[in-house]
Amino acid sequence: MNDRAPVWELGQGERGYPRSLLHLGDDAPGQLFGCGDRELVGGLAMDHTVTIVGSRRPSSYGLRVAEELGRVLAGAGLVVVSGMARGIDAAAHRGALAGGGPTIAVLGGGPDVVYPASERRLYSDILRAGAAISEAPPGRRPESWSFPVRNRIMAALGAMTVVVEAAQPSGSLITARKALELGRGVGAVPGPVTSRVSEGANGLIADGAPPIRDAQDVLDRLLGVGMTEAGRRGPALETSLARVAELVELGSRSCDGLATASGMAPGEAAVALARLELLGYVSVDADGRYARTALLPPD
Amino acid sequence: MLAAARSFALIGVEAREVQVEVHVGPGLPAFSLVGLPDAAVRESRERVRAALVNSGFKFPQQRITANLAPADLRKAGPSFDLAIAAALLAASEQLEPRRLERLALAGELALDGSIRPVPGTLAMAEAAGRRGSEAIAVPSANAPEAMLAEGARVIPLERLAELASLGTDQEPEPPPAPGWGPNNARPAGPDLADLRGQPYLRYALEVAAAGGHSVLIVGPPGAGKSLAARRLPSILPSPSRSEALEVLRIASASGRSPRLGLPAARPFRAPHHTISTAGLVGGGSPPRPGEVTLAHRGVLFLDELGEFSREALEALRQPLEEGRVTIVRARHAIELPCRFMLIAASNPCPCGRGEESGECECQPASVRRYRAKLSGALADRIDIAISVERPTAEQMAAAPATDSASVRERVVAARELQERRMGPGRCNAEIGLAELRRVCRLGATAKPLLADGHATLGLSGRGHDRVLRLSRTIADLDGSERVSDDHVAKALTLRRRGPR
Repeated sequence: MNDRAPVWELGQGERGYPRSLLHLGDDAPGQLFGCGDRELVGGLAMDHTVTIVGSRRPSSYGLRVAEELGRVLAGAGLVVVSGMARGIDAAAHRGALAGGGPTIAVLGGGPDVVYPASERRLYSDILRAGAAISEAPPGRRPESWSFPVRNRIMAALGAMTVVVEAAQPSGSLITARKALELGRGVGAVPGPVTSRVSEGANGLIADGAPPIRDAQDVLDRLLGVGMTEAGRRGPALETSLARVAELVELGSRSCDGLATASGMAPGEAAVALARLELLGYVSVDADGRYARTALLPPD
Repeated sequence: MLAAARSFALIGVEAREVQVEVHVGPGLPAFSLVGLPDAAVRESRERVRAALVNSGFKFPQQRITANLAPADLRKAGPSFDLAIAAALLAASEQLEPRRLERLALAGELALDGSIRPVPGTLAMAEAAGRRGSEAIAVPSANAPEAMLAEGARVIPLERLAELASLGTDQEPEPPPAPGWGPNNARPAGPDLADLRGQPYLRYALEVAAAGGHSVLIVGPPGAGKSLAARRLPSILPSPSRSEALEVLRIASASGRSPRLGLPAARPFRAPHHTISTAGLVGGGSPPRPGEVTLAHRGVLFLDELGEFSREALEALRQPLEEGRVTIVRARHAIELPCRFMLIAASNPCPCGRGEESGECECQPASVRRYRAKLSGALADRIDIAISVERPTAEQMAAAPATDSASVRERVVAARELQERRMGPGRCNAEIGLAELRRVCRLGATAKPLLADGHATLGLSGRGHDRVLRLSRTIADLDGSERVSDDHVAKALTLRRRGPR
């Protein structure tokens, strides 16, 4: 804990203080402390920001959905906000990172205090590709009351709050209620009616929240029906690299598959994939399986 | 009367000198053996008695005491038979004691007086030379192996009766020393040409072989993981003479291939995943070399890595890092060499089908446990990880790609560059932190690329060093002293990635 990340500070009214937080009125945090990418927080556009929250004890179904939502939404150019709690929150962050997009963790303690400590690796990944913010000053340990309070920040930051599995009652539902109060969109991922952890989410749907079946349901609401990305474009690609990126998109998920499909020498295929990965056009999982990110080549 | 003869105890793969003293004196006929003998050594009394009688010698009807010194060293196995018999003959005035001066003996006796082969003859012959023995008498079956040692003359014995001829002109002639010529032209074992399709897998194997890097192959059953792994020895360079001697010394000490001369191929060991920790890294009482030592200077293949016990995999840590295993016992510690290349294969999950297939029935928790093993203890020492898929029918029907011989030529050339740079027998996988910057010089375009990798891919310190080592090997395969940006890019793709 002694290698803490440097902390920056944003006062209300200062340039870079997220405008969406001002909607909280008297409740808006006076000071915002953060670690990681300050520009990201400063440049936050509400309509390109989505908040994903959910249970700390999810089912594997919930984890999978949260991660997939995070991945596709981040890939589409949205900023994914969550609370870095164990379970759904962490999965959403992880997905966002895998999608190659920035993600913001709103913490209950100081922005440099990793809680839960087991998510240390995730925390450092988040700092690398995004930011951790909090209204608590650096070094402050989170208290049990600080979580419901920080939930209002998460609700305010996103144009939409998506609930993936939440029990009844739960912190996630507090976030959803706050989002509704602020006039933000609230969506919920439907779960089995027999599942305790889906009671809250199913309840929201019963009360009229739109069911979120996949990331497209979110994109339809935030960007307009049928829109698949917020227009993030990457650097220009040489013809050969563009072709490799296309082959990956068409299903060449391993280096072997790519070499076979393209007829390139395996060494060349490896070079192309490494370059595309560095440029952000493809991402790799721990097994070395490649996927195309949502980054578009320039016009 | 008192007489002594010299023999050797095998401790791990090293021979330790043992003095065999026999005293024949008045008293009731008895034969006692002291000096921390195990059961096989104690039973030596019966073999010696029968062998002497059946070889035309007399077994003295007196009180016989045999002592094996040093007394605190535990003696195991039947290899002291010959020395005990010789000392007994000298002590009972059937053999001139001076014939045993500056002579070492090792061999097991059969009841009819013939001499059976024993493990570890090569190490014993070497120790005999070092300890100033002029000659060593060994079972004739072990003679070719003993001839490889320098220093002591080798006397091959078929029968105990031939002891009488020692030092006379009837003494058995040593056999011709087995020939040795490094033979890089002939690859060992099954050929890489059997691998259809999968160009990248072949490429990964080539880089691994060229730099001695350890590899992890992940893929569903039927994707050719073990097929590929078993073909790795065929693209490795032949061992040098000193490496071959190390391999033979170990094989001999563990009682394998005593009749063979120097091996022309590197060992390939593929233990089953049910193997015990002691079986894998060595152990037991007396301590015996494990699979890692048997794979010294060769390849250790762990198929179904996720199925090995966690304990066994943890135990691989020291061997992989230090190239040797230390087994500590109450009285002593023995050290066994184990510089091997690790190639591991694994399914993507316990059921083998993989999440991707949509047919995977594994629980998330069990998948996590399984994957934790892959990224656990061994992870730091595995440089290359690649994911493979089942080849399509089309690829299976395609014409075979290049065979092992041509790949091996490139590997041998790359290894020569490395030996010139770092010294004999060394390869890029062993580049230490201190040498890394000096050995892996990056070209002007390569530096920013690696820095980019650091920033964008979140390379850890270890990951960074791994990429440097790999790119050095890839440059060596190109015959290039400078590491270019393409070399680094290839290394970035090949490297094993940390868990997310």
